[in-house]
Amino acid sequence: MNRFAFYPGCVSKGSCPELYESVEQVMDLLDIEVEELTDVGCSGAGVLTTEVSDPINARTLAKAEQMGLALMTICSTCQGVIGAAALRLQDPEYRAFINKEYLAAEGLEYKGTTEVKHFLWVLVEDVGLDELKALVRRPLEGMGFSPFYGCYLRRPADVVGRRERRTYIEKITEVLGGTVVNISGKGKCCGFPSLTINEPNALAMTAKHTGEAKDNGADAMVTPCPLCHLELDGEQTQAAAAARRTIEMPILHLPQMVGLALGLDPKGLGLGRHFVSTAKIVAQLEPVEAAVSAT
Amino acid sequence: MELTLNVRRGGTRRSADDSHQAYHVDVEPETSVFEALVKVREEQDGTLAFRGNCGVGFCGDCTMLVNGRQEVVCLMPVGKAQKDDEIKIDPIPYAPTVKDVMYDAKRFIWDKVNSFSPGVVFNGVEQVTEEELSPVRRAMRCTMCGICDQGCTVIDVNLDFKGPAALNKVFRYVFDPRDGRAKERVVEAGETNGVWDCVHCWEASDHCPFDIDPTHRIMELRDRSVRLGVKSGTGNRQAARHYNAFERSVEHHGWLDERNVAIQSYGGLIRGGLKMMPTGLAALRRGKANLLPHRKRPGASAIKALFARYREVTRTER
Ligand code: SF4
Repeated sequence: MNRFAFYPGCVSKGSCPELYESVEQVMDLLDIEVEELTDVGCSGAGVLTTEVSDPINARTLAKAEQMGLALMTICSTCQGVIGAAALRLQDPEYRAFINKEYLAAEGLEYKGTTEVKHFLWVLVEDVGLDELKALVRRPLEGMGFSPFYGCYLRRPADVVGRRERRTYIEKITEVLGGTVVNISGKGKCCGFPSLTINEPNALAMTAKHTGEAKDNGADAMVTPCPLCHLELDGEQTQAAAAARRTIEMPILHLPQMVGLALGLDPKGLGLGRHFVSTAKIVAQLEPVEAAVSAT
Repeated sequence: MELTLNVRRGGTRRSADDSHQAYHVDVEPETSVFEALVKVREEQDGTLAFRGNCGVGFCGDCTMLVNGRQEVVCLMPVGKAQKDDEIKIDPIPYAPTVKDVMYDAKRFIWDKVNSFSPGVVFNGVEQVTEEELSPVRRAMRCTMCGICDQGCTVIDVNLDFKGPAALNKVFRYVFDPRDGRAKERVVEAGETNGVWDCVHCWEASDHCPFDIDPTHRIMELRDRSVRLGVKSGTGNRQAARHYNAFERSVEHHGWLDERNVAIQSYGGLIRGGLKMMPTGLAALRRGKANLLPHRKRPGASAIKALFARYREVTRTER
C-alpha cells in the first residue's frame, strides 16, 4: 500500500474532469491510497511571481508534512512549480523567512521534509513496473503512443531529480503492451503558457508536436500534464488549421492509458470528453474478457 | 589523427540536401574543431567561410552544428567530436546563413540585444557589495554564443523571439544596483516577443554551456518586473491582463478558474467571451465544463491572507 497526500491541481477539478476521474479509478486498482488536500492553493503555475507562489506552496508542503506523507501531483506544471519551491525551501534562511512572514499567522511551520512526486514517478518508483505489468488485463498491443512529458517533468534537472525519470512514459507504455512512437518534441513546450499571450506561437508548437506524432504513425499521444492536454487536445483543431493541415491526433491523459490497459471502461475513463475524437483508439481495444482468456 | 571534415558549402539558400565538401586533415585529437577549420582555410581552401575569433571560448562567435548538435567549436576537441573519423559541420539553423557555415550574427543576436537600451545609467549608488553584484557578474559571463536558442521552444516557432541571451542582457542591467532605469527596461523587455513570451520550458538552462542558467534569469526578470508593477510592455496589454486575471482568480478563490482567466485575458466578457465561445460550447457538449463559475475552495481565505501579507512584505522591502 502506497499512501500520499494528494494535490489534484486546478485543471483536473476544472476543465479536465476526466483526468481526476481516471486517476481515481486507476489508483484504486493499483492500491494507492490518498488523502486529498482540499484547502490548499494553486501552485502559481509559473505565472505568479515566486514572491507569492512560494508562500502558497510552502503552506501546501507544510500540510503534507503534518500528515507525514509525500505529496503526489497529477500535473507536470504543479509538480515542477511546487518541486522548485520545495527545493528553494531547503535553504534554512529562506524557509525561516517564509515560516515567520507567512505561515506563522496560521500556526503552520514547514520543516523542509516533504517529498513531491508526480503520479508518473509514483507508478514506476512506488508501484513498480513489474506490479503494473502483472495487473494488465488488456494489453495495448498494436497501438502506438507518442509520449509528451510537459516541460516541468523534464527540466530543470535539479528539480526533476533522477535522470531516468525522463524515460518513464516510454517504459510504462511498453509494460502496458503498447508501442512507443518517438517524437523529437516529446520534452518541449506544448504551447499552453503562451496561449493567451502569443497565440500564434502556441498554435505553431501544438501543430508541430501533434503533426509529428501523426507523421510518425502514432495512434495517440499520452501526457501526464493536463495543461498539455488542454493545449494539444483543445487547441489542436485551430493549430492544424493555422498550419494548413489535418492532424486529428487523440491525446490521452496518462491515467487513461494505464486505465485502458488495466481493463477499465473507456467511457468511465472519460475518453468521450476530449475535443479530438478518441473513437479510433476505443475501436482498437480488445474486449477485456477476450484478453484475459487469451493469456 | 587523420580526419575528414564534411563541411556544408553554399550560399544563403538552405535545403535538406545541402552539399558538403570533404576536407582531410591530420591533427592531434585535442585540436579543436575550430583550429582544424582554420587549418583547412589556411592550407587547403581560402574560400571556406565560417565565424570565430578568440579561439578560447570567450567570444561565442564560432557556434555551428557539429554532427547535428550546436557547439562552440573552439571548445570542442576533434577527438570528441568525430564519429568514425568524420565530423559533419553545418550552419546553425536559427539565423540566416551568409555562406558555407557562416551565419548572420546581426540577425542572430545583435539586432535583438540592440533592441534594448544599453549601458548602466548611474543612479548615484557608489558602493555595492559583492553579494549584490554576484548575480550580475554571472549574467555578464554570457558569451552570446546562442546555444540556448537550440533548445528554445519559442525560437523554434518564431525567430523574432528575443531569446534567452538578449533577455539575460536585460537582466544584467535590471539587477545591477547601480542602474537607475530598471522600470523602463522591464517595459522594453515586456513587449511582444519579449520576456512574457517565454514559456518557461527550462530548455535554455539545460543547453547553456556556461552556467548562465538563462531560464532562471528570465523568470527572475519577470518576478522583478511584477515587483516594479510592470506585467507587460505598452504594446501587448494582453500579457498584463493574463497575469492580473490569474492573480485575481487565485487570490479570491484559492484556485485557478482557467476558463475565466482565458476570457479575461482575451479582453473581458464581451471580446474574450466571443473568442472563447466555440471552445466553450464544445467543452460543454463534451461534459468537460459547466456553466457555473468556480466555487471558493476551503482554504480560500487563508490564501487571500497570504496575498495580503505578500503585498505588505514586498511594499516594505521596495
Ligand atoms: S545564455 Fe549561455 S548559451 Fe545562451 S548565449 Fe549566453 S552563454 Fe551562450
